[in-house]
Amino acid sequence: MRAMKQLDPKPEVMARRSEIIAGLRRILPERAVIAQAVELKPYETDALTAYRQVPLAVVLPEDEAQVVDVLKFCAAGGVRVIPRGAGTSLCGGALPLADSVVVGLMRMNRILEINYADRYAVVQPGVTNIGITQAVADAGYFYAPDPSSQLACMIGGNVGMNSGGAHCLKYGVTANNLLGLRLVTVAGEVLEIGGAHCDAAGYDWLGLITGSEGQLGILTEVTVRILHAPEGARAMLAGFASNEVAGECVAAIIASGIIPVALEFMDKPAIHACEAFAHAGYPLDAQALLIIEVEGSQDEQADMLGRLREICERFAPVSMRVAQTEAESAAIWKGRKGAFGAVGRISPDYLCMDGVIPTSRLGEVLRRIEEMSAAYDLRVANIFHAGDGNLHPLIMYDANDPASFAKAERFGAEILTLCVEAGGCLTGEHGVGVEKRELMRVQFSESELTQMRAMKDVFDPQWLLNPAKVFPL
Amino acid sequence: MVVESGEGVSVVSARVDAALPGGVIVPRDEAELAGVVRDASAPMLVQGNGTKAGMLRPGRAAAVLSTAGMSGITLYSPSELVMRARAGTALAEIEAALAAHGQQMIAEPSHLFGEAQTIGGVVAANVSGPRRISGGAMRDHVLGLRAVNGSGEILNFGGRVLKNVTGLDLTKLLTGSFGTLAVITEVTFKVLPVAGAVGTIVVRVADAQAAVAVMSAGLGSPFSVSGAAYLPGSREVYLRVEDFAESVAYRCGRLAGQFAGAEILGSGESKALWLSIRDCEALPPGEAMWRVSVRPSAGPGVLRDVAFAGVTGFLDWGGGLVWLSGPATHEAHEAVCAAARTGGGVWWLMRGPEALRAVVEVMPPEAPALAALRRQVVAKFDPRGIFNPLKMWAA
Amino acid sequence: MQTNFTPAQLADPEIAVANEILRRCVHCGMCTATCPTFVTLGDELDSPRGRIYLIKDMLESGRDAGAEEALHIDRCLSCLSCVTTCPSGVDYMHLVDHARVHVEKTFNRPLADRLMRAGLAWVLPHPARLRAALLLARPARGLGFLLPGHGMLAKRLRAMLRLAPGAVPRAAPLGRVYQAVGARRARVALLAGCAQQVLAPSINAASIALLNRLGVEVVIPPEAGCCGALVHHMGRHEAALAAARANVAAWMAQVEGEGLDAVLVNTSGCGTVVKDYGFLLRHEDCAAGAAKISSLTQDISEFLMKFYEPVRAAPGLSVAYHAACSLQHGQQVTAQPKTLLRKAGFKVVEPKDAHLCCGSAGTYNLMQPEIASALRRRKLDTLRALGPDVIAAGNIGCLTQLAGDGVPTVHVVELLDWMAGGEKPQALR
Repeated sequence: MRAMKQLDPKPEVMARRSEIIAGLRRILPERAVIAQAVELKPYETDALTAYRQVPLAVVLPEDEAQVVDVLKFCAAGGVRVIPRGAGTSLCGGALPLADSVVVGLMRMNRILEINYADRYAVVQPGVTNIGITQAVADAGYFYAPDPSSQLACMIGGNVGMNSGGAHCLKYGVTANNLLGLRLVTVAGEVLEIGGAHCDAAGYDWLGLITGSEGQLGILTEVTVRILHAPEGARAMLAGFASNEVAGECVAAIIASGIIPVALEFMDKPAIHACEAFAHAGYPLDAQALLIIEVEGSQDEQADMLGRLREICERFAPVSMRVAQTEAESAAIWKGRKGAFGAVGRISPDYLCMDGVIPTSRLGEVLRRIEEMSAAYDLRVANIFHAGDGNLHPLIMYDANDPASFAKAERFGAEILTLCVEAGGCLTGEHGVGVEKRELMRVQFSESELTQMRAMKDVFDPQWLLNPAKVFPL
Repeated sequence: MVVESGEGVSVVSARVDAALPGGVIVPRDEAELAGVVRDASAPMLVQGNGTKAGMLRPGRAAAVLSTAGMSGITLYSPSELVMRARAGTALAEIEAALAAHGQQMIAEPSHLFGEAQTIGGVVAANVSGPRRISGGAMRDHVLGLRAVNGSGEILNFGGRVLKNVTGLDLTKLLTGSFGTLAVITEVTFKVLPVAGAVGTIVVRVADAQAAVAVMSAGLGSPFSVSGAAYLPGSREVYLRVEDFAESVAYRCGRLAGQFAGAEILGSGESKALWLSIRDCEALPPGEAMWRVSVRPSAGPGVLRDVAFAGVTGFLDWGGGLVWLSGPATHEAHEAVCAAARTGGGVWWLMRGPEALRAVVEVMPPEAPALAALRRQVVAKFDPRGIFNPLKMWAA
Repeated sequence: MQTNFTPAQLADPEIAVANEILRRCVHCGMCTATCPTFVTLGDELDSPRGRIYLIKDMLESGRDAGAEEALHIDRCLSCLSCVTTCPSGVDYMHLVDHARVHVEKTFNRPLADRLMRAGLAWVLPHPARLRAALLLARPARGLGFLLPGHGMLAKRLRAMLRLAPGAVPRAAPLGRVYQAVGARRARVALLAGCAQQVLAPSINAASIALLNRLGVEVVIPPEAGCCGALVHHMGRHEAALAAARANVAAWMAQVEGEGLDAVLVNTSGCGTVVKDYGFLLRHEDCAAGAAKISSLTQDISEFLMKFYEPVRAAPGLSVAYHAACSLQHGQQVTAQPKTLLRKAGFKVVEPKDAHLCCGSAGTYNLMQPEIASALRRRKLDTLRALGPDVIAAGNIGCLTQLAGDGVPTVHVVELLDWMAGGEKPQALR
């Protein structure tokens, strides 16, 4: 089914397959090298199952020294390497190549240090996003970026993709919440970037590496900022009669000077799918729903919610409800965070787009997507971070029907092109991966791409690390 | 006076002196600037209005390439929290335009370098003020950049939207690169509304150690402290809260309750106080000035370790940023470097005589592997080595 | 997710069901995070998503199961934590059940493995045999260290000896009608179970006493026996069906006779399976009866919500409630046991990562001793961090697994019975 062109395997690597596997077994412990065909199969894809390729081998290192050894070994043999965390990428970020060794970092899942006085934590890449918050929650702290897959996705992948989340309207994305990294280059050199302090001297390597999608090295340690949690938080739901009206309400909220901690948008199909999963009391009669969250003491919450209600009321909401308990708030977020999976209830497959648009174009872009949906005869559920214009149209299709997938791919490309034309970009938090690779030319000129490729050349002259991603072939 | 560039494009020159036989080249737009770069045959000092020329290492070049001629706000959408301006736009102009809509720059860049500094310079030097600890650094708010690389190609990275992970983040790489990789020609950045009110808790403490304990308690509270500084002269710790008036009153009350004898300053006093902290007004005048960034708990150690060399200063960022001034001597500089190293952090020589800046490590040297990568990265952006050579590193 | 079954394959109703389940999965990976084996082993192959993919590939190809599929499917605890987590509603339980049957039918296990599994299947579901086995094992309990070797067999035998109780309680014959005290408010059948009545007869005794005191008549038909879960989870489909059929027949006789308000289960591992009889027996003659029984089946905590009243003064004890996976994930019964314990006057505390299995999982702690003991340690650490007076759970497997670490373990119903006027649980005396 894969329509996407892929790099040809290197014949000299494929010919040395058993030698490479034997070599990996020599440098890694027992059960850390997977090479049986049956066992490689589940590693052929991530959360974008439309693209699949069984790798040559999978290795599961347990520490930095093993990562160094694997990279030195692979670099010496010209073997391509695919870093992998939890395998939750929606853009095929962990898609293997036939001649590649997948380096799974799931076993490097220890929290190495927590420092409350200086407000940071040092963790290995295989720690889940929510695992950091859980480790510091008893002391009242949390790690701010919260991608919807935070239960499962790992911090290594978060750094690789510069993940965002529902609450980054207030707290920023991954890049804004990092202090330091340890990165193993393809040559097996360990680079220490930043530390436990703000603003490293010299170039912003931290900024360059964050979001580099495994192109520059493999992370072995991440130092994140942790923040003290507010006194409390409460979500409200506001249902509207159309996507456009909800979009106008979003613009009005931002223009009023209130920056809620989260401002999330769901359209009707999404509302229904999520309600079936979370039973959060989403308004089933609304065409569009905003989830708005505020923080602070009870009085502060009430004050902010009062201001927000006033704004929402100007847009004739069909329903408005404030969560009365922690459990109600939790259910509201459970539905939102499980939204992509919940769409699995109404469609066997979906492609999840991640384009960003200026928020002033929200209504217009949603209308265009609706028109495209009719033209392609494919349903779309829209679930997205409205406060920052980060759209997640989920294009529903049937993977058992090749024509349906081809249509879905074209539809997706058309949406993303529209986002760029509207002044936005291809991806706000999921990354380019393999999925949007060929669309990069829509957003960047050849000299811009050349400048980016030049950075890859510096860190990985043989282009062994996660090749055939990010840059158009 | 008008200087003729190679291709005959007329560019305005502000001043010419003996040290700069090539003059100060001030292109009027990006295309002109790209032409100047393509035609350049010798290194140039890249700057806006040159307010940070005294920062880091002294430049050595035949000419100055200034972005001061490219000015003006090109996009401002308050409801989308985004502004775009040409690199030469004065910071003052940007701040005025934002204030007219009740908005502000999130990183509150310092005016330490004077009123003439440009937005290009603020971004190229990644200048951030007290709000860095809560709102992020300048580098966290730059959404997109246009720039001209050393081959004279016009490049556009990032964009105007609040979230963007498309491709490698060269926007961040260029931010804080002091014009050594490319000439920034236009900047798009995120802004935020000015809070309705500001409040400050003032706590008197015995020493820096106690000050950091207070600041850590404040920053480790649920009350969204957006500034935490300590001035040794007055032995006072300041914790700032910014929000709606009711929230500020409530949170200041809660915070003040945590510390014996704490006082609360109202909005007017608070605003003035934090401007003075932002602009380092409490820093005693000295021949040299440094900035040290360490983990907050290491800040007091830095102050202590540099005192013997006549270097004094104050703490911002909850203790993690140490502003220092003192004599422009090797001894003083080495003391600062050693203190920063001991604290596990980094330093920048922000101001000082050329003679000193030319020979010392103005920033900590990189590990060899990183230095090797950095040299290659520079070569990829500026293959002929014409932008601000030796500005950041001696080699 | 895309599947590749031929029309001929899909004509097989079992494959058709598997296909439907697989099509629901969108491969998002959320389930990996809450899977005890993924958290412990850090390998996609030992996660629900990885197993789903292995199973999909195995079924699509139509091949016999090999050692790799058997390894990773055997490592699944069937704790169903993934089912709770899954936003798409993937019916993992029936998929892995199907896969276990496929493995059992098509994979030729090593001899030692076969003997072990056959032995467990012969002994465990039969109280008399289990009792005899435990009495035989008693003298050997302390001798586990003498078992040589690091092989799986030695580890399994050591695990068995560790789990064997020090004293085997006196057999308490069951199998009759237990009258309600006072006016009869309801009539229920109680699953007497198999291993539980040997290891902890006090649980059934407390259940019956409590129900009777609350005005509930309890019937234990002698024809009803093991629910079939133990063999079901070994992929021994026919044996599971036989057990299920016998129970359905025994209870339906009561339904059609004097009538039943509910079939109660006080071992949640069994409850999950009994509640699934309707699906398990859907192709059998007794399908309608099985569906009826499944609809009548409740965990005892669900049933007690309407009836329970404590009479004793609160004892001031802190109870760490350990949610058995079969209860919290398999049956989605989460609040009731805690609500009842609080109503009874206990302070209820819950451990971190309450969603994670303790490693018991039927015969899992015998078959996969290394993973099981890692999970046991993790669970006990989080439970002990609460500083509880007692650990309570609704499943004998968990209670056996968590016993012997210094904190008494009791069934929830024993605590409830005590506060409702029954005897103080032995473990607390």
